[in-house]
Amino acid sequence: MVDTELVDVKGMSNRMLQDFLKKNAISLKTNEAKKIVKLIGRNPTLTELNIFNIQWSEHSSYKSSRKVLKTLPTKAPNVILGPIEDSGVVELGTIDGEKYGIVMSHESHNHPSQVVPYEGAATGIGGILRDVLCMGAKIIGTADPLRFGNPDGKNKNKVKYIANEVIDGIAGYGNAVGIPNLAGDVYFNESFDDNCLVNVVCLGILKEKDIIHSYAPKNADGYDIIIVGKPTDNSGFGGAAFASLILDEEAEESNRGAVQVPDPFLKNVLIRATYEVFNEAKKQNVGLGFKDMGAGGIMCASSELCSAADYGCELDLDNVHVSMKDLPSYIIACSETQERFTWISPKEFTPTILKIYNKDFELSNIAKNARAVVIGQVTDEKNYVVKHKGQVVCNAPIKAVTSGISYDRAAKKPKRNFKEPIIKEKKDYNDVLLKVLSNPAVASKAKCFNHYDKNVMGTGIIEPGQADAGLIKAKGKYGIALAVDNNPKYGRIDPYLGAVNAVAESMRNIAAIGAIPSALTDCLCFGNPEKPEEFYDFKEAVRGIKDAASKINYYKTKNPVPIVSGNVSFYNESNKGKAIDPSPIIACVGVMDDYSKAITMKLKKENSALFLVGERKDELGGSVYYDINKQVGKNVPKIDFQKEKNMIYAVIDSVDKGLLLSCHDISDGGLVATVSEMILGGNADGTIGVEIDIGFSNLRNDKALFSESSGFVFEVENKNVNKVKNIFKKHNIEMIQLGKTTNKKTLTIKKNDDKIIDLKINEIKRPWTSGFAEVLS
Amino acid sequence: MTKPNIAVIYFPGNNCEVETLEAVKAAGMDGKILRWNTKEYLSDFDGYVIPGGWAYEDRIRAGVIAAKDPVMNIIKEESRKGKPVLGICNGAQVLVETGMVPGLKDKVEFALAPNKNPFVSGYYNVWVNIKSIQNKKRAAFTDLDKNEVLKLPIAHGEGRFVTKDKALVKQLIKNKQIIFQYCNEEGKIEDKFPTNPNGSMLNIAAICSKEGNIMAMMPHPERAIWKRQIPGSKKTDQKTNNIRIFESMKRYIIKNK
Repeated sequence: MVDTELVDVKGMSNRMLQDFLKKNAISLKTNEAKKIVKLIGRNPTLTELNIFNIQWSEHSSYKSSRKVLKTLPTKAPNVILGPIEDSGVVELGTIDGEKYGIVMSHESHNHPSQVVPYEGAATGIGGILRDVLCMGAKIIGTADPLRFGNPDGKNKNKVKYIANEVIDGIAGYGNAVGIPNLAGDVYFNESFDDNCLVNVVCLGILKEKDIIHSYAPKNADGYDIIIVGKPTDNSGFGGAAFASLILDEEAEESNRGAVQVPDPFLKNVLIRATYEVFNEAKKQNVGLGFKDMGAGGIMCASSELCSAADYGCELDLDNVHVSMKDLPSYIIACSETQERFTWISPKEFTPTILKIYNKDFELSNIAKNARAVVIGQVTDEKNYVVKHKGQVVCNAPIKAVTSGISYDRAAKKPKRNFKEPIIKEKKDYNDVLLKVLSNPAVASKAKCFNHYDKNVMGTGIIEPGQADAGLIKAKGKYGIALAVDNNPKYGRIDPYLGAVNAVAESMRNIAAIGAIPSALTDCLCFGNPEKPEEFYDFKEAVRGIKDAASKINYYKTKNPVPIVSGNVSFYNESNKGKAIDPSPIIACVGVMDDYSKAITMKLKKENSALFLVGERKDELGGSVYYDINKQVGKNVPKIDFQKEKNMIYAVIDSVDKGLLLSCHDISDGGLVATVSEMILGGNADGTIGVEIDIGFSNLRNDKALFSESSGFVFEVENKNVNKVKNIFKKHNIEMIQLGKTTNKKTLTIKKNDDKIIDLKINEIKRPWTSGFAEVLS
Repeated sequence: MTKPNIAVIYFPGNNCEVETLEAVKAAGMDGKILRWNTKEYLSDFDGYVIPGGWAYEDRIRAGVIAAKDPVMNIIKEESRKGKPVLGICNGAQVLVETGMVPGLKDKVEFALAPNKNPFVSGYYNVWVNIKSIQNKKRAAFTDLDKNEVLKLPIAHGEGRFVTKDKALVKQLIKNKQIIFQYCNEEGKIEDKFPTNPNGSMLNIAAICSKEGNIMAMMPHPERAIWKRQIPGSKKTDQKTNNIRIFESMKRYIIKNK
């Protein structure tokens, strides 16, 4: 039983209970509070109410999304660990008889970044590094998909401020810990005016046998529970519950307290000290449990570590090192203070852990009062017992604490009135192309990437911006590729197709450098799940991910490209109740068994042949071309799964045989933006020109040039053309000859005999290199 | 003879120590990453590298706190015996803050100021070119061919060598202490962006102590020792000419032993 006062949930009227919950900043609904009474068989203490408040928040419990997420394909032969622990693990390959895994995690920090953008973005990285590290992995890279509001709209000043601060926050944290940035994308549109999206993806590497699980090891009865890191404060209190609230501008001030304070300096040292713990544990062959402390802090980490292994635990909050006096027990237990981890360790190994953190790495000299301390023990009793100041403040069945809740949300198809616009055809498209290239969705993101550290660790093979995916050396000759994707406007028009395109494009991105798309993560950013129309969009997007991941099979198998990790972020809407564009943001990780074969998008040789695969269709809904014409349109690209996978396989095979000089996927801005980027290359220093003819297409010129239908453009030396054709023929894909590369420093596009684009490389360089930077200034 | 043994120092906040040690080993030396609080054997090493990162969080100013760490006193003492000391990026900032570079007056003579960059303010990470303008024997790290251009990344927010002391600049030129300068791909030293990526005075990328055994350099040779690491290069494990900075260090140690 408990020693502290109980809250009379049973006895209070709904009205009184509602007031009580509000006064105590508990966002549980009254019926949820009453459910606690049933679950634990009595009225809860205030600490217990706070615990359930966090555990049953959308962020922690996935209460609206859980059933829908179950439909996703998460199993495949290359999955070492699916989406059940802090990160997923997918197979890299076997090197010297050891099987290696890629650890992958994907999170959002949307609401905090809207309120305090620098710290929000920084703590987003901080959190995901912990998710990957706590699997026992070495952290090897990050990527940052970002969505901001309209930089020319009514909120433009705030939008620019947030965008710049977020980019600075990512740089400030990521650079300091020394993890290279591998990929990222940035979109702007008015649906994100009041609610930016800040995603972060993180990769790690480990041997399969070295995985440390997010649950107590076998025979853990009596093992120590150790927390390490920053002293606990109240700074992050309520973060998980906060993440599940709709942002109200007036409440922003009070919400600031819910954003955690990042400390990359402490994290830098913690990561290195933790690697030492891994080494020692391996040397001594000790089994441990290890978990990141994110949402729900001590409570969430300790309860899940023990519950998942069918244990209970007993904690004494007086042992927790704190940086503030007189914190109530529920704050110590649930605070989301950054830069902390929880270990489960056998008693005989505890001194080793304490020594590494406290003595070898002197944590308390790195950040005031930071340290590792034993706060309790694993028990056989299956209860979650928390003591504070000699009193039991929580004593509930541990399974009740961790079981979560689940809702069947109603879904209703919303009305969508999108129409195809009527745009007048032009004689030439020089000016239009320049506008397309300066659009921030297309323009070079160098201003971002060059602010991030891309080559720390010395593993870089292809840096972000140089190709459709980033690539690093992993182990031996193995390379790991990473790409992220989602065009929010596609989702606005059709959430199913938006998701399908995001998955397909992320896989094309990986294939374009020659890697095999091996696993996916999804960060599903949507509006309010309690609104049936918004929940419908969520379900449609999940259906899209499922279809694309299952039907664009893993390279030459019948298996899906599995979803190994993910995150759901709901309530992304303004205080006026308008949801953001449905945004299932996808990351795809790729594997190459020989990174030396990888290619970039930049043209390599004069007089080589340029080919297109993927026919041009009247699919410009959500395109950049419509955007610069102030239109949205209706025809979002559709993906023919069979063709898509054949195209992807053929590109992978051709790169593997060393037959492609360069390759680029077709996406934002369409065929002509793709070709322009191949001319310029990631650093905009290309000098090889292009002459192409779009006579192959029956579409209107503008549609042929700017349609974003799926496809690739690649460069082949003339002597290799037949070999490449044979590969594509085997995969039933028709190669369309676009034209050739030239020694003239120009981009010339003809339709039969009419020149429809004729620009010098220098002319296309200017808008492409300045468009994104101008939007931020 | 045994391989020279190099200590790569890890101050809390450094983040390039692993690849720096890899470069040391690739050049045929032995080495170890030494935490700032393990000083016992520090004087047994034949040379030292202070790697990049944010030592002590760059509190107050980049490199200041680390410069006052007792570890640096020991390294300073050892450098007086002629042992080579290389500071890369944050390590360069530390060496400048200890006064070991340029080392004319045993005090801080130079500053590494915030970059001047028309596009990105603050931290900037791009590939640049540098070349040594001194002869092979000038410093412990300069056994390079005349006009040999090295391609390597910079990754810093405060890397602009600057001083108002005109006499000091004259002295540095006279003493041949300016070692590496930013140049274009052809080796031409031009004081304009992007050739000079941070607005550094006289395009300075690295300067050495008067005796030549201590060098502070802002770019990162340790991130560019294999061809695969260089954008646009064949993705092989052949070494690049950046390794020669570390090989110079090795030859210097062997010669002076």
